Amino acid sequence: MTLTEVARSLDISPATLRRWVAEGIVPLRDGEWTPAALAQARLVARLRARGHSLEQVRVAAKQGRLAFGYLEDLFPEAEVEYGLADAARETGLEPELIRRIWSAAGFSAESLEHLGEDDLQLLQRLGAVLDAGLPLVAFLQLVRVYGQALAQIADAEVKLFHLYVHEPMIRDGAPVLDIAEELSDLASELLPLAGPIMDFVHQRTLQHFLAQDVVGHLELVADDAELGRVRVAIAFADLAGYTRLTEEVGEEEALEVVERFVDVVGETLPDTARVIKTIGDEVMVVGTDAAALADWAVGLVALSTERPLPRIGVHVGSALYRDGDYYGRAVNLAARVGARATGGEVLVTREVRDAAGKNLLFQPIGEVKLKGFGEATELFLAGVR
Amino acid sequence: MSASFESAKELREVIDKIFSMMDADPDMGPKLRDADTPQRFEFSDFDAVVNIRATRGDEAGNLYWEWSDDVDWDSKVQMTMSSEVANRYFQGKENVPMAVARRRIKTGGDLKAALALIPITKPIYDQYRDYVEREKPHLKV
Repeated sequence: MTLTEVARSLDISPATLRRWVAEGIVPLRDGEWTPAALAQARLVARLRARGHSLEQVRVAAKQGRLAFGYLEDLFPEAEVEYGLADAARETGLEPELIRRIWSAAGFSAESLEHLGEDDLQLLQRLGAVLDAGLPLVAFLQLVRVYGQALAQIADAEVKLFHLYVHEPMIRDGAPVLDIAEELSDLASELLPLAGPIMDFVHQRTLQHFLAQDVVGHLELVADDAELGRVRVAIAFADLAGYTRLTEEVGEEEALEVVERFVDVVGETLPDTARVIKTIGDEVMVVGTDAAALADWAVGLVALSTERPLPRIGVHVGSALYRDGDYYGRAVNLAARVGARATGGEVLVTREVRDAAGKNLLFQPIGEVKLKGFGEATELFLAGVR
Repeated sequence: MSASFESAKELREVIDKIFSMMDADPDMGPKLRDADTPQRFEFSDFDAVVNIRATRGDEAGNLYWEWSDDVDWDSKVQMTMSSEVANRYFQGKENVPMAVARRRIKTGGDLKAALALIPITKPIYDQYRDYVEREKPHLKV
């Protein structure tokens, strides 16, 4: 490909692309457009379009932080052929049921109008599960669990690859194109293994739980070894007075309230955050942008005017990332801060206050002794300025 | 670079188009009618107000709206925002709780009902983006 052709495919001007190449932001191999260079150019164009400054992109590019762009080439773009009506006709499932299944799996409603062959096959298999006689209420819960668990797996795959493969290469100062090609080689070997491994692990685990017939609480063993840590913003949100609500309106209705709350949390989170898990009416959210998470929490509480009101605690700190989940003092602290709030309140720690934007107002409520923590923690009540 | 409406006339033309798409959509239209949540949108920079409600009795379609506050119904949800924020909102680029916290959107009324409308109206994002791409490229965000 020529530089002009590449520029056209990226919807940027040849002069811009020429400048990126000249500055080494997009490194070529002996002047040639290799797949790795193309991927890097694509990623740079995307970052610029999202508003990242050229200086930010330049630093990231030169350190090899953009080398993962090449990995996207491992997923060929699916040919989109079907909409919801086609899917209903092909699978024999009602459109409304397809919508519910799709939503439960965690896929966007918009994507139902851009389905490929693989999506149809997935729907046909899910339809077969229903045909086999699994009650709809159990089926939808199961699809939701699959969706959440597999999203966690995919997130873990990307993060662990980043923390333990990509980052060490950057630290070693390897040439940018070497990093991209090495990452791609490794990923293309690993990717075909993921499906069979998950299948096997699932079978083994299912066997175990069937034999045990109990779902136990997994106690983690402490490990002093050096492990991947990540700095994240953590929020715990739940509904104040849920226990009383259950007594007042009954379990079914109270559960519907919780499900609506969990859905609203999932639907409204900023792009930089995701639901890690739900425990009863409590939702644990982790994000990379503390200011955005604080804004979300304050906005969600401001939009909630009816009982049971949500209460949210937010903290930012270093967490241990393992098994697709987050652990450690920062997580425990965020949970305790959330538990300290009352309905309609967002409580945050000083770290969040310092990271938040000027649009929020923080009222200090003093140093509070939180359960399980030796030292008192300075807390602030967050609201719209 | 912000994407801006050229005039109040264009804002009205585009919002009319958005509401028409919601009204005609086989999924969104009936759901919005069933939700029966009259909304009042105020676009602060153009001093424009539109009130929208579900159709009644034998009125055609699913939604009915008027560019006026002089209507014979009360809104259940009120949203005030600039036309730029509205443009971003209908393209799915404005997170409602964050916009509330950042005072980009001011809300009032039955906010539980407002939150319930978010998942219903999500298909408009794609439709509006397609429309902008096709007919109003200067509004692309």
